[in-house]
Amino acid sequence: MPRKSGKPEREAKKPPVRIKINGQWHEFEPGRDIAPEMTLSFLLREKLGYTGLKVACDEGACGACTVLMDGKAVLSCMKLAVEADGHEILTIEGLPEDDPVIQAFAKQCEPGYGTALQCGFCTPGFVMTAKALLNENPKPTAGEIKEGLSGNICRCGCYSGIARAVLHASEGSAPKGGKP
Amino acid sequence: MTPPRPYTPRVARKFIGGYRPRIDALEKAAGKVEFVDDLTLKSRFPGMLYAKVMRSPYAHARIKSIDASEAEKLPGVKAVITCKDPEVSSLKPTSAGWTDGVDTVSYERMMWGHFRDRRVLGDHACWATDEVGAVVAAESEQTAEEALRLIKVEWEVLPFVLDPLEAMKPGAPVIHPEIAPRNILPKDVVGGADVFVDKGDTDKAFARAEVVVEAKAVHHNATQASLDNWCCLVDWKSDKLTVMSNSFEADQSRMHISQMLGLPINKVRVISSYVGGQFGRGDTGDQPFFLFTALLSKKTGRPVKFRHTRRESFHDSRQPAIYTAKVGAKKDGTITSMYFKSIGNSGAYADHTMFALKFAPTEITEAALAHIPNVRMESYGVYTNKLPACMMRGVGNSQFNLIFGQVVDMLAEKLGMDPIDLALKNFGHEWGGLPDKSLSAVLREGAERIGWRAKRHKPGAGPVYDRVKKRGVGFSFHPAWHAEWQEARRGEIRIRITLNPDCSVVLDAPTVETGTGSNTCNVLGCAEALGFLGIGPGDIVWPHTVDTETSLKDCVQTDSAVSYLQSEVVARAAREVKKRILEKAARLMKAAPEDLDAADGRVYRKAAPGKGMTVRDVFRLGDMLPIVVEMGRPPNSEKTGVPYIANFAEVEVDTGTGRVQVLKLVVLNDCGTVMYASGAEAQQIGGQVMGLGEALTEEIIYDEATGVPLNFNWIDYKIATMADMPEIEPALLEVWRGAGEYGACGIGEGTLTCTPRAVLNAVYNAIGARIDDIPVKPEKVLRALGKV
Repeated sequence: MPRKSGKPEREAKKPPVRIKINGQWHEFEPGRDIAPEMTLSFLLREKLGYTGLKVACDEGACGACTVLMDGKAVLSCMKLAVEADGHEILTIEGLPEDDPVIQAFAKQCEPGYGTALQCGFCTPGFVMTAKALLNENPKPTAGEIKEGLSGNICRCGCYSGIARAVLHASEGSAPKGGKP
Repeated sequence: MTPPRPYTPRVARKFIGGYRPRIDALEKAAGKVEFVDDLTLKSRFPGMLYAKVMRSPYAHARIKSIDASEAEKLPGVKAVITCKDPEVSSLKPTSAGWTDGVDTVSYERMMWGHFRDRRVLGDHACWATDEVGAVVAAESEQTAEEALRLIKVEWEVLPFVLDPLEAMKPGAPVIHPEIAPRNILPKDVVGGADVFVDKGDTDKAFARAEVVVEAKAVHHNATQASLDNWCCLVDWKSDKLTVMSNSFEADQSRMHISQMLGLPINKVRVISSYVGGQFGRGDTGDQPFFLFTALLSKKTGRPVKFRHTRRESFHDSRQPAIYTAKVGAKKDGTITSMYFKSIGNSGAYADHTMFALKFAPTEITEAALAHIPNVRMESYGVYTNKLPACMMRGVGNSQFNLIFGQVVDMLAEKLGMDPIDLALKNFGHEWGGLPDKSLSAVLREGAERIGWRAKRHKPGAGPVYDRVKKRGVGFSFHPAWHAEWQEARRGEIRIRITLNPDCSVVLDAPTVETGTGSNTCNVLGCAEALGFLGIGPGDIVWPHTVDTETSLKDCVQTDSAVSYLQSEVVARAAREVKKRILEKAARLMKAAPEDLDAADGRVYRKAAPGKGMTVRDVFRLGDMLPIVVEMGRPPNSEKTGVPYIANFAEVEVDTGTGRVQVLKLVVLNDCGTVMYASGAEAQQIGGQVMGLGEALTEEIIYDEATGVPLNFNWIDYKIATMADMPEIEPALLEVWRGAGEYGACGIGEGTLTCTPRAVLNAVYNAIGARIDDIPVKPEKVLRALGKV
């Protein structure tokens, strides 16, 4: 919260930028903690250490930096940190490990579709995009999953497994298969 | 959608070959895995600086003078090193082709020692965005970039050439006159002469041939596009240098740095953690950025981080090649003669050009063309002022398959034969007869799954859909790689098993975790081999990070072969573990070790299986010392030939717009033994993103007037997303068998090798007009149809 001060208004410090991250409000002092040109991805990764999100293309083409803002997927490399002022951000670190989407990605091994991840670099972005999709549309069709996740790139190419994992997450059903 | 058809293993095993999650699936899905860019945050290395390197604005230029004084004065700049400074100008000339990653090599033994055409930081810019002139270390990346802009450079702009055919002509600009006075790379010890295969008498055979076809196929630059950009942090404190990176070959990185900077090997420590996609990127053993980042760390006494931007990630790519071919045959379909000629665009540096152009095709000749009596192969690697091409998934094979699959299709048409019959009549391998069982299995399975008999028609003569759309099917096939005998150059593969008194296991089978699934294969293989302990994969700790100071030498993630190479050694080491347990138990049970055996976690007398003790008790009542077995073993050299791979495609071509839509792909791999089914399927399905990208959309585009690449970004370089992908049916087969416990063969790279040609053959089947070069963009289709 801005501190009270006897100084005239124009000389007062700019109010801090307040962002709720994974359930907790953070305050950032303009000029010291946050700059006008700073991206949300930079703030989250480099300043706060939320390394689950990845910066892979840094131009909004791959979705690896996806986080949720007020429940909707945003590309954190294309968003200025100050645009998140007053909003609620959820990164993958804010999800419990038993989150159904995380579990579905981890367990996918249904024959014919491969796994839902290989190198794992794009995975947090896909998981967060899938979370946003299921927030809006809890029972998506195969076509809606394809459309909803088409802003993300998986260079290992696990699209079949990912689509399957999202379908299973929406159905609340874990795929068959042995334990890791 | 066709319902999935899981494969049936030839030998039922408990862990190996199963459909199951990856061992690292949960940590990756939860975003908990830390890649090098995550591990090297400034908050973890508070004194850390960032390095940036100057890049040439010209396709070909020399630095006449350089003045960095203004850059040095910029607040936040801690060091500037220019090409005139002795610490870089004294470094040996080098090549990015030290090794293909299979073996660790020294400077003297580097694979392409004939082509040491790179300076670590020189004054000669050989392509637009080449690293030259100066490097800066600063408190932030922005400051480092600003400092680079303050460096005054006087350039001598030189004429440039982009096209290899132009570069071969007299009078063309010469890129590296001391190595290639006419831009054509000279003969070298590994690749051989220009005519590098010459079996029989091709000219005579062509003269006698009853049918002859000729073809051309052009493969372009595609980039690996790993999401995880190249990154390193170097900390050079007193006499010791520590590197954290996403290099996929820790031991070779250490050798490279040690040799180039003149440090004892034990004063260089290389740590490689998870890598976010490899695909052949950096399959070089040499990246100059390690060296200049190290020198900046030495100069400043602080850790220095260097990372590629997405734009810079385009500096690794596939070797483009222009192939022409001629094939002669008898009327019955017996191929009598084959001739292939390739002209490769090496780009600004030779690197692994000759691996793609000569080394790989030589291997293919041995494997697939063994029964063709007359074969001639000729190749020229040519310097130009384009992006230097590097290794990429399926190096050399992808380029070769584009022409190989074409001539098979063309010859079959001319003979009036089914190309499947033509293939089976002619191709196998040196150590087996015809028809080859493996090739026969993949082609018959593929034909059945794509609906070959029903859908294949005369070129362009199929039904028309929606008034303008035509469909077709096509396939391409290729020998798989690598079988164990093809990996002999690796030398010993070393692993260590530590069995603790509670029967938990630490497996040191180091290989960098790049996503391929080989670490899962290792853990499954270890659980399988230690099955007598009654343990499972969850009881095994595996090396998540390769550290040259604490790990055994890493088995490099190349040749797609790590999925079984280490498991073969683990299987042997496990027998030794068992022997030691029985020896320990023999003392306690007052028996001879040979009278004992172990199963399900128990040691028992063979004569009285009911009598015995648990393995845990053997430790508990004995010395409580873990059993440690370290084993090194070279790959089995028994010549077993290789299996086959194939892709079948069904496409729909819009003859109005020229758009090609792939409707279905069937990806077939004879694996010998499937080591890990879900991982193998993920490779089969996943490879199609790259394969279809190369076939249809991915291409690096240059401005011909300036030589500047135009689309070094992911907006204009088109990578397929989920919405772009067709139905993909993975088919795993176990027909061929190699040597050893499993007798497996690599599959990862081969999954995409046949994709572009399968698509092109299907396009031809649909529209009846051939397109020689990829990617097949709509304008090429319309041109082939005579519409533009």
